[in-house]
Amino acid sequence: MAPVSAGWTAGGDATSDTNTQTTSNRKDYWSIPPSDVFRELETSVNGLSEQEAQARLKTYGLNELPTHAFSAMRILIRQVKNPLLFILLVAAVVAGFFELEQSIAIVAIIALSVVLGFYNEYKAEKIIEHLRQTVSLKAVAIRDRKATQIDSKLLVPGDLVSVYVGDIIPSDIRLVDCKDLEVNEAVLTGESFPVEKNFATLQVQNPTPQQLANYMFMGTVVSHGTGRGVVVATGKHTEFGSISRSLARTRPETEFQRGVRKYGNLLISLTLALVVGIFTLNALIGHPIIESLLFSLAVAVGLVPELMPAIVTISLSQAARNMAKRRVVVKRQVSIEDFGNMDVLCTDKTGTLTSGKISVKDYWTPLGAAELRILQYGLLCNSAVVGLGEVTGNPMDAAIWEFANEKGFHKDSDSNVVIDEIPFDYQRRMMSAVVQTKVGRLLITKGAPESVLARCEQVETPNGIEPIDHMRVQIEPKLTEQAEAGYRTIALAYRSVENKSSYSVDEENKLTLLGFITFTDPPKEDARQALNKLKLMGVDVKILTGDNELVAVKVCQELGLTVYRVIRGSELTQMTSNEIRTAVEEANIFARITPEQKLDIIKALKVNKHVVGFMGDGVNDAPALFESDVGISVDSAVDVSKDTADIVLLDKDLLVLANGIEEGRKVYGNVTKYILMGTSSNFGNMFSAAGASLFLPFLPMLPMQILFMNLLYDVANMTLPTDEIDVEYKDLPKRWDIDFVRKFTLFFGPFSSLYDFLTYGIMLFIFGAAPALFQTGWFVESFWTEVLVIFVIRTRRIPFITSKPGKWLTILTLSAVAFGTILPFTFLGHFLGFVPLPAEFWVLLVLMVATYLLLVDAGKVFFYKVCKF
Amino acid sequence: MKYSELLFVWAVSITWCTVFLIAVSFYLYHRRKNRSTESGTIRVRLKEFLFVLVLACLLGLYILSINLTSSLVFAIGNIIVEIFLVGYTMRNKTTTTGHGANTH
Repeated sequence: MAPVSAGWTAGGDATSDTNTQTTSNRKDYWSIPPSDVFRELETSVNGLSEQEAQARLKTYGLNELPTHAFSAMRILIRQVKNPLLFILLVAAVVAGFFELEQSIAIVAIIALSVVLGFYNEYKAEKIIEHLRQTVSLKAVAIRDRKATQIDSKLLVPGDLVSVYVGDIIPSDIRLVDCKDLEVNEAVLTGESFPVEKNFATLQVQNPTPQQLANYMFMGTVVSHGTGRGVVVATGKHTEFGSISRSLARTRPETEFQRGVRKYGNLLISLTLALVVGIFTLNALIGHPIIESLLFSLAVAVGLVPELMPAIVTISLSQAARNMAKRRVVVKRQVSIEDFGNMDVLCTDKTGTLTSGKISVKDYWTPLGAAELRILQYGLLCNSAVVGLGEVTGNPMDAAIWEFANEKGFHKDSDSNVVIDEIPFDYQRRMMSAVVQTKVGRLLITKGAPESVLARCEQVETPNGIEPIDHMRVQIEPKLTEQAEAGYRTIALAYRSVENKSSYSVDEENKLTLLGFITFTDPPKEDARQALNKLKLMGVDVKILTGDNELVAVKVCQELGLTVYRVIRGSELTQMTSNEIRTAVEEANIFARITPEQKLDIIKALKVNKHVVGFMGDGVNDAPALFESDVGISVDSAVDVSKDTADIVLLDKDLLVLANGIEEGRKVYGNVTKYILMGTSSNFGNMFSAAGASLFLPFLPMLPMQILFMNLLYDVANMTLPTDEIDVEYKDLPKRWDIDFVRKFTLFFGPFSSLYDFLTYGIMLFIFGAAPALFQTGWFVESFWTEVLVIFVIRTRRIPFITSKPGKWLTILTLSAVAFGTILPFTFLGHFLGFVPLPAEFWVLLVLMVATYLLLVDAGKVFFYKVCKF
Repeated sequence: MKYSELLFVWAVSITWCTVFLIAVSFYLYHRRKNRSTESGTIRVRLKEFLFVLVLACLLGLYILSINLTSSLVFAIGNIIVEIFLVGYTMRNKTTTTGHGANTH
């Protein structure tokens, strides 16, 4: 078998200009006829045997590209890439020359902290990876003489593959047969118009991908027709594989990611300033240099939200797992937050609000008679194809096909032969077929009534052919009547054409109207409930449909969705971008729109600061799915939609969407809790530590004690993602608000400092504490307040009374407090430099912490109720 | 540092911390989202700033008890304030507040 080699250019810059790429090192299957291709690749029209395919799989590997899938090493690097940890490690090693015990303890605590973060993130990433794999792309390959749907990863060179409209080409394929095949190669060439494909042999030297009309390339999309070909390259050996790195589309940061990153950067710069400041001041007032350095670094580590990535990942994986139980698969986990924050959902109508199963309801002439020829012509001018025993393609064409078959018509009859096709496009909104009939050659046109009628000059009546003008007044009310009843209608017209080799859209004029076909797609039973739920959750639903506005309005009314304003695609075309921005706020039905207009609507909503979700399942929905903040597709969608989407619904059902939104809000809520906790308690503690070190003759807490407290605090927070969210938090979408976080920090931070200073007073003036006792007292108080305040901050309600925390959060937090309490009495406590505390201290501690928590709770009333934040 | 000097520095630190918190409270009140209560009476204002009054009382209690080195004064003062705060919380019992329960 001939080797299957890589790339168009040997070591060249494939990304610079795809037009200049050559094929110098690729086997030239384009220049040999299909029979030779079969021979060269040791395959046949019957495909490979399963046994041979398995053998080749071992040789060539899986047909997949290197992805940014998670790796243990990357997670580990993420844990240790905090520069402060690195500096602390160096400082600990240096300190080892003076105080070995302290140095070892610090290194051990750092290692433990890294292991803890790694373990949790690794586990969470594994879950996400597993879920992601449940949505895989399929390919129809002939194995053991049978057409079989297999995971496209299992394709090997030599496999014979069939492709249909909407399919993503699974590998590089040399065509051996095709019918009206058009492939969109934009992903590879940048050319936005589909290119026609054929299977003829080409005699070109060093062709560019654009020149290879008998090839289909991995990652490109079938936009029309069907094809069959032999796999010639898989995985990284494909054209897409060789340039995929440069073509990888990176999604812009989500609003939440951006907010968290900015917040993290703010904390890190603040922390670095604090390290320098504390170290300088401590050194100036005469504290030992190494101890001062370690102390300042330990304070800094205490401030850095190093657990943030773990909390985010755990929350997301937990949400993804819960969503999977509700048959929602998350492909891009960061989209979960946007899913929760989504305040506008744009969706198509078909299959979402309606059942999606379109069937022929009626066929009628302009005078209302049922004329079977309408069905016959509808079948001849039809893009549906039969694959694997199923009629696939455009749903209306498929419906005509099935209905006509039931009436005894078949497309491949001897009397009528389809000579040529002018495919459908969204601009013309119609398609045509040139058919050789017994009486001559006919051009049959089928499409949106207004488009077809605009090109008709005559109409067929029982009295013969008549001018259409006087009939329009009779036809239009009927069409309106059908549309208002929620039915879709298409028109059929025809004309005689002369014999020639090819036909174009220019032929689509001077037509004779034959009649109409009416389709029905009834509203779904549970759509009303889902729309109500989304409304209650603050999600504004907008319908983006290519369909007639009257049909869309009728369906919405049946479902109880208030129609505010309807905008047609033709109106949108006339609007400036500013007018579109206003229009998208006012209207909730957009009818007769093109895929480009869907994109415009989503962009305008995003400019208006909405978090926009888009739900679609067609080839034409892919750009909108990519552009939206949350792209939602369904398992039954075409490959390109599923591939582009962030979230895939295993059932096309709006109710599961509402459940997913709840999960998203839960994630957002719990991550925000961690941020607010970190800012309010950590900040307070670390600022008071820094302040105290200035007037105390000794360090208020040893560096390893601070690090140990930080570790314990992290452990206590690990179950935060499992915490409950108050029901009203799920009511409305939230927006990341750094100003709120800043105000929250400014207000709640000093509470913690106040009680730290109080503890200093108690330890110094009531107990006359020596350094070890002082440090122990402050460690215990600081830890109690830092950890227990979660119960107050996690809710706006009264903790435990009107808002119960999650079971695991309660158990782990109280266990951590218990551990911190007995620590001074243990060997480990002794090793860390703690001493037992007097009984009187514990009484004062309980009173002090109780006052602190009640005061913070009273502060909440002031902050949320009086100041309305 | 002598004991009396240390006590003074400590009192300044804790007072500064409380004053800062009170100043932030006034700042936030001034920048609050909904200003519908701005025209409220002195009684309304006092009610709104009850938390600040409690804070000032607590500061007095803490400085006094530490100055007296009295655990008893500290304990009794705390218990009284806690009873008051529990009452305050229950009076302001909230089941639904605006947009969300947990955060913003």
